[in-house]
Amino acid sequence: MLKQKRLMVVWLGLQLAFLLLLQEAFTLWVSLIFAALLLTRFATLVYANTSLSLKAVNVIGACVAVALLFNLKQAGVLNFMLQILLLAAVLRLLALRQLFEARQLVWVHYFLIGCCFILHQNMLVALVIITALFANMYSHYLLFAPAGSNLKPANIARATLIILPLWLAMFLLFPRLPPFWQIPTAKVASTGLSDTLDPGSIEQLVQDDSLAFRVEFENGVPERQLLYWRARLYEDFDGRRWQENPLRSGSNYRNVHQGATPAEATLDYRIIAEASQQRSLFALANPWQSSANVNIAPSGLVLATKPVSQRTSYQLSSQLQPVAVLSEQEQQLNLRLPAGNEQTLAFGRQLKAQHPQVPALIDAIASHFRQQPYFYSLTPPLLGANSVDQFLFDSRTGFCSHYASATALLLRAAGIPARVVGGYQGGDWHPEQGYLAVRQREAHAWVEYADQGRWQQFDPTAAVAPQRILSSLDDALSAEQRQLLTSPWQRNALLNNLRQQLMHLDYYWSVWVLGFNDDNQRDLWQQVRQNLQRFAYGLAFITVLALLVVALLWWRRRERPTQPQAYRLLSKTLSAMLRHKPAHQPLSAFLRMLAEQQQNEQRQLLLALITSYELALFNDDAAALSALKQQLKQHRNTLRRLHFSAQNT
Amino acid sequence: MSALTKALYPLYWRLLSRYLDKRQPAVPSVTLVQKLIFILPTRYGWWFFGLIVLLYLLGTNYQNNLILLLSYLLLSLFLLSIVLCYQNLSGLTLSSLAPGEGFAEQDIGLSLQLIAAANDNNRHRMLRLQFTGQQHQVVSQRCVPAITLNIAAGKRGKYTLPRIKVSSQYPFGLWQAFSYIALLQHYWVYPSPAQQSPAAGIMPEQDQTSTRQQVSDDTLSAYRQGDSIRHLVWKRLARDPATPVVRQQQTPPPQLQSDWVVVPAVSGDALERALRQASRDLLTLEQSGASYGLKLPALTVAQAKGPAQLQRCLQALALC
Repeated sequence: MLKQKRLMVVWLGLQLAFLLLLQEAFTLWVSLIFAALLLTRFATLVYANTSLSLKAVNVIGACVAVALLFNLKQAGVLNFMLQILLLAAVLRLLALRQLFEARQLVWVHYFLIGCCFILHQNMLVALVIITALFANMYSHYLLFAPAGSNLKPANIARATLIILPLWLAMFLLFPRLPPFWQIPTAKVASTGLSDTLDPGSIEQLVQDDSLAFRVEFENGVPERQLLYWRARLYEDFDGRRWQENPLRSGSNYRNVHQGATPAEATLDYRIIAEASQQRSLFALANPWQSSANVNIAPSGLVLATKPVSQRTSYQLSSQLQPVAVLSEQEQQLNLRLPAGNEQTLAFGRQLKAQHPQVPALIDAIASHFRQQPYFYSLTPPLLGANSVDQFLFDSRTGFCSHYASATALLLRAAGIPARVVGGYQGGDWHPEQGYLAVRQREAHAWVEYADQGRWQQFDPTAAVAPQRILSSLDDALSAEQRQLLTSPWQRNALLNNLRQQLMHLDYYWSVWVLGFNDDNQRDLWQQVRQNLQRFAYGLAFITVLALLVVALLWWRRRERPTQPQAYRLLSKTLSAMLRHKPAHQPLSAFLRMLAEQQQNEQRQLLLALITSYELALFNDDAAALSALKQQLKQHRNTLRRLHFSAQNT
Repeated sequence: MSALTKALYPLYWRLLSRYLDKRQPAVPSVTLVQKLIFILPTRYGWWFFGLIVLLYLLGTNYQNNLILLLSYLLLSLFLLSIVLCYQNLSGLTLSSLAPGEGFAEQDIGLSLQLIAAANDNNRHRMLRLQFTGQQHQVVSQRCVPAITLNIAAGKRGKYTLPRIKVSSQYPFGLWQAFSYIALLQHYWVYPSPAQQSPAAGIMPEQDQTSTRQQVSDDTLSAYRQGDSIRHLVWKRLARDPATPVVRQQQTPPPQLQSDWVVVPAVSGDALERALRQASRDLLTLEQSGASYGLKLPALTVAQAKGPAQLQRCLQALALC
């Protein structure tokens, strides 16, 4: 059985697929080792159809395992586990001889398939993994099936019909438990906004077309100008680069579900965030209530309990008003001025002198950007040490982070606490599917300043390039720069459409498959319970009917074979007379005896009856049976009289 | 641990047989129905179940629906394979057409007839048949009309057939469906024929020397009923099972003084020796074509010839 080449080919293909799928968990040299091992197996399969000796494989295995062990710290526990699992499978295949070894191999493959889902939840990749699962099941089947047997489509269809409802019922109804213990996550490079904001970091981010998160709104999508998705706060400035304050990464969360329901209108929405390997998530304005899997930090930021390593969905409820200023300390933190950028500081102080009122000052900054020749560009010139001075008074060309950075510094110079907020602005609304897709290219930076006890939002980019806020980034850029954002294959309308459709499918996938949680499950149960009464009567009726039909069929089947039809015909017509028949006497013998006692004509009739009866019964003669029926019908009266006379005798 | 299992096994088997005897008394032909089929997970099945639990834990800890789905899918497969495994065995009919016969301390082949449900031989796959308590087992990839199962015969006598274990792990090896079937049939163990006695003028090592000789065609002849299977040329048999060939004895069969084979009224070892001699004499006589009879202390078989006579006489010896 193990000599079958197709099994070997299936397993080799599977392991190659694992190597590619688990690529994120492997460093280059590890991948190369695995590739070399698989190549060896392939060569031995093609040229010799043998396997390596166990001794050689053990030596190789020991060496690679030790090398992996040395790399443990760098790779992380999860990656190490995946590497060891794949190593075990590959080595097993290299030295495969016995049937039980093949069974172990299939077992490990199943487990590896499960592990692939830790790293990949994308629908298309999931399809690939499911294909791998079926291939492994097929090899599992072949191991236990007769040599050279093939699965019949009819059998597969029948099995699928049974498995599918069972499987779905388990998924929908089986209790879902919280995690039992902390588990290691894969060490993978994070995506999205980082904890520092350089001039230029957002420009890089917007060239990434991948999805950041999706949003469903409970009561319709708000206006585009309101869609400022806060993700990070940058409060430390060193003259060039903004950084998150270490205080923010502390764990002083606001308790979830705390606080009275706000009087103001709230916005309820659900966010499905892509894996980013970061803890920071996204929220609108001032979130006050969330689902249990995320926490709301005091500054209104939403943090996951651990780095988001797979697609995560969470529910939020936001008040559409700015976040409150927490403490005097927070204000002081956002008034600090680094050395350098003297021109800007002077300009800030001058503005303050002209406009003592904060709103007026903000207006002044906005109109400064609007009226002076400032340009919005994806490719601003590089800036030196005093980056803000250079930008404001020299190059006058920048992207959102430049404007945000300069505005925050101006406000701080004017004695108003201000900080830069990193996040996303806008998103593509898909009305048919009912979700807002926010991509990395929607990354944005803006400013928050403290006024009247709240952190008011101000977006200087809106002054320079209002189209960026009102429609999209593409409209705010020149045609030349737009070219930078789209790769050649995205310009093909057909491909683009296909990509859109795939994204929609992926959305349903993440909502119905990945995002199914105990809340959904509880809802489902509730619905079942509510509708149960309505269905119960119908169901009971159908069940009773089905049982009746089954009982009837069973009864008829039991009845039929015991007595042949000819016997039943005769005994029905002659029932009264046959009461005198002794139990041990055959029917025809009794009738013959009766015939002896009768007169001529009746005797002839009885003898004819007996003949047809015997022909019908013992010769299976259909003609005789119908003749018997005819005779019984014709001579019913005679027979009745006969029965009287029989009684009289 | 294994000593304990070994000690407990006979007790377990006794209890099981008592239960089975009530559930399925011996009949000439048995169709496997629900009442007779037992299903238990195999060791691989337990491992597979462990895998499902492991995947469930992994999926729960990572809160990963896809891993949970995988775990549920494998669980569905696990449950479905109970039904498939049952269907694979259900409906199979086994019967034994003729009693087995053979000499003591040899393997006795018993021919069993297998009839597939709805006459679809592909319905039953990877069948494994074995007499309980016997080493020999037959694995049949599909249902075949007839198979031969061996029993290692012990002492002479007439025995009822032990239960036959029919099992299958098809399709995924996760469950084993099995049934212990009692067929109303018996098998005869005849006294093994004695080596030619020196008095008959044949060397005792004759058998061994002849087996070492080269097989040349002029010493071969077609098999006739009554030929000792020790003289069968097995290599030829493997090549062409339809026409068995025996090696011709170099010397003509010894002429016995009388046409009556007599077993004297002795007991113990002497009786056994006499029976083995009688068995040899009967075979020789049948081969020579003469008609012969058997006189036992309590029974006399009238003179006749042919395979039926030989069988009758050997059976009388077995029961003596």
